[in-house]
Amino acid sequence: MDGRCAVETWAEFGFSGASCTPTVRFGAGAGVFICTGSDEVYVFSAEERKLTTVLLFPAPVSDLVESADKQHLYVACRNGVYCVSLQFLLSRAHSSPADASSSPVELKISHECLVVPEEGVLSLLPVGSVLLTLSQRDTSWVFTVYNSPNQSASSSCEMLASYSLPQASGVVRNDTEGRTGMRRRPVLICVHSSDTTTPPPSSSEATSTDGQFCLEPVLFKLLFGIDAALAKSPVILCGLPDGCLCFLPLRLPGSRLRVLHSLEQPVVFVGACVVMETGPGHAQCLVAMGELGRVVLIKTDKGGPERGGSIAGFIERCVPGPVMCGCVDEKCLYYSTGSDLLTLDLSQGGEERDEEISSKTGAALQSPASLNVCRVIAVAEPTCNTAGEVQLLGLSVRGQLQRITLPMRREDASLSKVASSQVGRNVRDLLSAIGDVCERATTLKTAIKSKNQILTHLNQVLNISFLLITSTNSEEHLLQERPIRCHAVTKWSRLLQKDSLNLTCVLDNSSPYVLEQGWTLSITVFPLSYSPSTGGESPSTNFSFPFHNLHPGETLEVSLPLAAAGDSAFPMTLSCSLVFSLSSLLGEEAANVPSLQSSCFSLPLNTLTVDWLHALQVNRPIANHKKATSQCSETAMDTIQAFLSSRRIRHSGRKDGGGESSSKPEQEQFSASMRVSSELLRDTLVLKSSGLDPQGPMLAPQNVCLSLLEWLLCEGPGEVRTEHQGDKISSSVIHGQCPNGHTVKLSAKEVNVREESLGKEESLTTVEVHIESSSITAVCGLHHAVLHRVQTLLQRAPERPASTKTVQSLGLRQALQRAEHLSQQIQQSRVSGAFGVGASTGKMTRSLLRVYRELRENPLLII
Amino acid sequence: MSHKVCQPPSLLDRWMQENNELVNKWQQEAGGDAVSRDQKAHLRSCSSEFHKLLQKIQGVPPLADHTQLELTVVYNACVCSVAQSHFSEAELLLIQATERVLQITGDNPVATDPPVFWKTALKSVANTALNSSIQYILCLQWAIWLATCQLKTIQEFQDELFSLSESLSTGDRVDRRSGASGKSSDIPLLVMDPRRLFELLQICTYIAQGAEKLSEGQSSEALSVLQTASSLPAPKTLVAYTHLLSGSCLTHMSCPQMALQCYRKALETDSWCVCALYQSMLIYRQLSNTQAEIQALRLLHSTLMLPSATEPALAGTHLLSPSLLLCSKPLNSLLSVPSALFVLHSLAQKCVIYGRVSEGVECYLDLLNTLHSEDQHGMHIEVHSLPRLPELYLEAGAALLMARRPTDCMALCDEVISTTLELLPDKLVLEEPEEKCEAEARPVGEEGEDRVGMLLWTGAAYLLQGHCHTNLKDWKQAVTHYTRCINLLVKVHFKRRGFQPQIPSVDMVGKQGTDLYILQRLKGLSLAGRGISFSQTDQLREALRDLQLSLQAFPDCVGAGLWCGEVLWRLGRRREAAACWEKTWSFTTQSSAENLSLYLKEPQSGPLLDSTELRHRIQGLGPTLSA
Repeated sequence: MDGRCAVETWAEFGFSGASCTPTVRFGAGAGVFICTGSDEVYVFSAEERKLTTVLLFPAPVSDLVESADKQHLYVACRNGVYCVSLQFLLSRAHSSPADASSSPVELKISHECLVVPEEGVLSLLPVGSVLLTLSQRDTSWVFTVYNSPNQSASSSCEMLASYSLPQASGVVRNDTEGRTGMRRRPVLICVHSSDTTTPPPSSSEATSTDGQFCLEPVLFKLLFGIDAALAKSPVILCGLPDGCLCFLPLRLPGSRLRVLHSLEQPVVFVGACVVMETGPGHAQCLVAMGELGRVVLIKTDKGGPERGGSIAGFIERCVPGPVMCGCVDEKCLYYSTGSDLLTLDLSQGGEERDEEISSKTGAALQSPASLNVCRVIAVAEPTCNTAGEVQLLGLSVRGQLQRITLPMRREDASLSKVASSQVGRNVRDLLSAIGDVCERATTLKTAIKSKNQILTHLNQVLNISFLLITSTNSEEHLLQERPIRCHAVTKWSRLLQKDSLNLTCVLDNSSPYVLEQGWTLSITVFPLSYSPSTGGESPSTNFSFPFHNLHPGETLEVSLPLAAAGDSAFPMTLSCSLVFSLSSLLGEEAANVPSLQSSCFSLPLNTLTVDWLHALQVNRPIANHKKATSQCSETAMDTIQAFLSSRRIRHSGRKDGGGESSSKPEQEQFSASMRVSSELLRDTLVLKSSGLDPQGPMLAPQNVCLSLLEWLLCEGPGEVRTEHQGDKISSSVIHGQCPNGHTVKLSAKEVNVREESLGKEESLTTVEVHIESSSITAVCGLHHAVLHRVQTLLQRAPERPASTKTVQSLGLRQALQRAEHLSQQIQQSRVSGAFGVGASTGKMTRSLLRVYRELRENPLLII
Repeated sequence: MSHKVCQPPSLLDRWMQENNELVNKWQQEAGGDAVSRDQKAHLRSCSSEFHKLLQKIQGVPPLADHTQLELTVVYNACVCSVAQSHFSEAELLLIQATERVLQITGDNPVATDPPVFWKTALKSVANTALNSSIQYILCLQWAIWLATCQLKTIQEFQDELFSLSESLSTGDRVDRRSGASGKSSDIPLLVMDPRRLFELLQICTYIAQGAEKLSEGQSSEALSVLQTASSLPAPKTLVAYTHLLSGSCLTHMSCPQMALQCYRKALETDSWCVCALYQSMLIYRQLSNTQAEIQALRLLHSTLMLPSATEPALAGTHLLSPSLLLCSKPLNSLLSVPSALFVLHSLAQKCVIYGRVSEGVECYLDLLNTLHSEDQHGMHIEVHSLPRLPELYLEAGAALLMARRPTDCMALCDEVISTTLELLPDKLVLEEPEEKCEAEARPVGEEGEDRVGMLLWTGAAYLLQGHCHTNLKDWKQAVTHYTRCINLLVKVHFKRRGFQPQIPSVDMVGKQGTDLYILQRLKGLSLAGRGISFSQTDQLREALRDLQLSLQAFPDCVGAGLWCGEVLWRLGRRREAAACWEKTWSFTTQSSAENLSLYLKEPQSGPLLDSTELRHRIQGLGPTLSA
């Protein structure tokens, strides 16, 4: 349906919850009879567009119908059927005073008009000269045939025959009935066989007035039997609220009510329609509609090959209900669900019927077209106006009488129009199909693309993995050549009056591969040794830094807090690794799979060590030289505090200077020293620092000491450096502050070691590094750190002829003697410790400490 | 004392006044010639009024002073209830009222058995003023028993019930006397005279019992009961019933003449007693008195066509009609009369069969006319149903053919053919009917049956048309129509139990009345007809083939036999011809197709062969044969 319906409201009636189905019927002379279920029947003039008469009945009206000769109006009330002469009605309406335009005539219908004193008549149907009534008695339906009053002598109708049919049980009832208490009226229609030679007076057309239909003879015979056809008897077809569709041949001797079909839901509407134009307007099809939307089409069907002939075909389909009312014209079924008025093209189903695709018929039936008119609860027979538009007369739920003009249906172009609409539909279908395919192709493309990306990504990942694995396996040789590695810089910073040591770790990608998304730099920090107070477990901390693409040659800088002031868990080991998670590779899809979340692999990079030297805060005397203006107060504060603390320590140190008493460990100054040959230093450090030929200009002894200190403090051997602000170290004595808050004095001086016993003139210049602090931990830590670095220095030293072996051997012997002695002491103390009798723990500790100090005081010369 | 007396009577008076007003109103309305339906509504309103009044009265505890009035109102209310067929409601009311009476008299029976209960009630009120009232009430109980067909209970209690007669008449007289002397408002009035009620009940009981006994086969006992009843004072309709039932008894006792006498008496008593007419017609049929049967049918039909025939006027007993009380099944089946159409059809059939063809044709045309008239409203759902309409058409056609009106016959056949043609199946399988369910083999409206029926009807219509053309000596057309018939009939396959469906072989003959029999008969007749037609156009080979096939399909076909001989004769096979004729003459005597449909009978209108001439020929042949 193209276009919209034109709805014209003609009148409005008060409409209270009616006890029966409201009715709208066309009457003679453009009159419309409306009954809303109350005691009143409204007569509306369609010509004048006004309410002309109101008929007042003594009881609620359940049905009204015009007699076959259009002379009388039969009205079924609760207490009987009344007959009102239409002539009388018209005369009364016209004889009313001139101001009739304002108010309709009210006519009280008296008891004299009662023609059938039968109570509870639900439906009426005039057939020729007789009147058929249908009422409900207990559990059966009673059809009674009355003679028309003008035929019988008396004023009331004469009963001719009565039939009853037991009520069917178990019908699906819409609960609207229970809710509103509305009784659905049974539907009565009269069907004539269209080959009857004398058509009934009222049905000159195919589908004409109130409930009179001419049905195609074959279908008529099939449904109602050939006896009815031979007798040319009209057949009453009745749709009952219990779902039965029953029929009664009216003029057949011995006929009885028989059930034609059961809709299993209250029948709302029964009609006949032409469907196909084969005959001269004979209805080809009976339509019945149930309250819940079941539509039954009854048509002639070709019998199967084994049966031959024709059979009556019942096509049963459902449309969305609930159906309030319905009507049918030549081709279409119109019905209202209360919320919408819908039309169902029955001819469409008919065409497909010919193709013997009955399932498609159902499909066609199931697609009613909306007319966008709501709240219609009763409709009259559709009419065609002069322009050929179909007009429906409807009564809305609020009692409005509406004329609904349906959009024009061009009869001449109906075939091509159907075709064009079908073409349009086909094109639409095709387009939507193309759209679907396109969409699917796009998704597939995206999927392939993303898979490709993942593959390249995975390729990179694998390359990097192999690179890292090989480099790990051959670690010792390719220490420097590691393409991907970390190095770090430590730095003290001060935040919120608290000093903390930060480590800036730099991941250097010198490999030819890109580190793409999904890689995470993982740094695990754990102290090399830890105090037993932590419970024997390594208090490791893990830092993860996911990063995006890191191209070859690029670096990634991350910083992490290593330790706060007072923390003394040095040296610390930082083990760096690259972690790749598979879930990131697969993207969002994998994010929802819980088992994939943990699927990642880790590739170790290198291990960094942060020792005491890195953590040492050097108190720089240069700070004093600095211009005060340029320094921020924080730095000043820092310096001042460092200065003060160092003063204090130095002061206290001086107080106990050299005193080796063990009474007060805090005031005790511990020291350790070591000797490194200057030659070695010169070879390594100077070579390194100046890049000059090591054989070149000799460095001043002071210079060597300074560069050693500087090297120790700033550069360090491994990949960890310490960033110190300020200038180069100018003094060979450095005061510093350890992370645990103790001051440390680090000094370097050149000492000549002379070997007398051999009588050799050769003296060895060495640099003695002396560490002094009140904290033994600091001394130990620093000593360890310095030793560790010097060891690496030795590794770096170029090969040289061992000219000083003798000296060394001498020194070694002494050292061995000392060591043996010390080892004895240790063993003693251990034995006594083991038995737990000889000495207390404190004594043992002291003895061990003494051994240690002795070891430290007499260092070996490192050449 | 006076003060004390003064109070209750005022209430009593008011109730009594109300009751009497209601009764008077009822009698006025009923007395007027208002239509019965108005009466029904009036009855309903009256009934409710009486019940309301009764509720008021029964609202107070039972008092001796009230009881008379109360029982009267109970009577009135119950009469109304029974008249509306509200039996259980009325019965409850009666028992309640009686129990209240028993409370007053002091007896408190707890008997659940109705006769015992009522006996106690009667005993306890005996010799009191309430006696007659209780008896009225008992009458109503009796009416309820009768209406609900509790004949056994009545039988048990019969003595008491029938003895009510005397006391009722006396009590009635007493009442009347007092009523005559006192003011009318002093006595509570009754809607229905109990005396009338008693009489009605009595005869109805006899009739019901007679019918019951008759149905049980105790005809002589029934007869004695009915004889007693026939002498009772009663409406003449009921007396006619007693005669009618007596006649039925005598019929059962194989005394048709005496039965006829009884029926005549019944008719004399009540001229509307159509049932007697019908029954006598049946006896005439039984006696094979065709003329009388036809006469009776004619009378019956004309009686039934009278407007008021179906509604027997029962004057005097407005409230409780005999039909309300006589509702037992055996009685109803005895009293049932077929519809006018059925009678007309029987009449037509009989006329045609017994040679009064023109009369028969008139009847058939009447029948068809009635069927097509708008006044026909198929009101009777009855046991005696008409044959299906196509069969009627065909019968009428056959009758017309017999009356030498072939064109009319063809028109009727055309109508049948045009109706059925579109619905004919291409192929049909006829199943051998089960032996047991043969009686119900043809339920009307069964689709499968209808298809077989339609095919056979169409076949028969073609056959008749063929006959018509034969009659008109249009052999070509005749051959065409016979061929159509044959072509149609060979579509039917027959399926024996346990076998595949097959075209019934020519020698397969079913039992008379079955579809197979009709099929084979049609086949035989149409083949014979075609054979005869061929023989007329000198296509002797075809003629011989068809006639021989016809004789195989339907060996009793005289025409086929004779003509087969004739064709053989013409072909020069004289001995065979003679044998064929001899054979045919031998079975002509035994072929009795009395109850066959008219259209299935052999046509009498075709070209005939004179048997004597044939015999002459055989005789002429004889010497050579013997020689």
